[in-house]
Amino acid sequence: MAIGDTKQHFAVGDLVKIRDTGYRRPGMIVEFRGPLGPGGVLIYRVRVRRKPSPAYIEVREDQLELFPKAE
Amino acid sequence: MPSVSLQHWQNDRRLRLTEMDAHCAASAALAPPNALLAEESLCGFVMLLSGHFQGFCRDLYAECSQIVAAQVPVGMRGTIQAQFVAALKLNYKNPTVDTIKKDFERFAFTLDFSADPANGPRVTHLGHLNRWRNCVAHQSPGVPQGVPLLTLQAVRDWRVSCDGLAGWLDAIMHVELSHILGAPP
Repeated sequence: MAIGDTKQHFAVGDLVKIRDTGYRRPGMIVEFRGPLGPGGVLIYRVRVRRKPSPAYIEVREDQLELFPKAE
Repeated sequence: MPSVSLQHWQNDRRLRLTEMDAHCAASAALAPPNALLAEESLCGFVMLLSGHFQGFCRDLYAECSQIVAAQVPVGMRGTIQAQFVAALKLNYKNPTVDTIKKDFERFAFTLDFSADPANGPRVTHLGHLNRWRNCVAHQSPGVPQGVPLLTLQAVRDWRVSCDGLAGWLDAIMHVELSHILGAPP
């Protein structure tokens, strides 16, 4: 059995866009927080900036869009 | 209804800690005795208890912040979510009374541990747990000053206190969110 084995649509390391925010660049999912949203919605921790110091946001799954990986 | 975070504490984190308790008891009862294994197991129990309690507090904070963020217009949601996460102490600091107060009081209320008389010994135990947690994590030589010796019974007492504080904090946040939202969350 894997730790954190839950039905989730995104994985740690995925690049994502966060809908309805001012973040223009994709962020990276750094942690799956579990079903902590209202009604059990899944929550993810996303790093939205790396430099000069990292910045994070925790958002609901329905706020995320997978950012296509570069070929 | 208890929060998802409290249910996770009760149905997952507590069970894991029970297994660790059993492991420590078995390690201490080995024949012939293995003092190193018993000691290291106890140190591991301290780290896990502190870590799981920190995890519960962090989960509850996140759950409450998402409930509040869900109440604002969609365009403002990201702003609220970013503000709740910014400089959150529970992300990197031990779950001390000070840390818990500073983070949860971002919901604009005073988190008064002394409001419940049962919290007196719980807060003392949490302080002892965190002192020992740091001692173990940093491999400090000797015993922390003014703190009881590290025994299985002591860790069991701290665990009961963490359990009490988890239920208390969950109930407090239910009341505060009901006040903020104008209806139970």
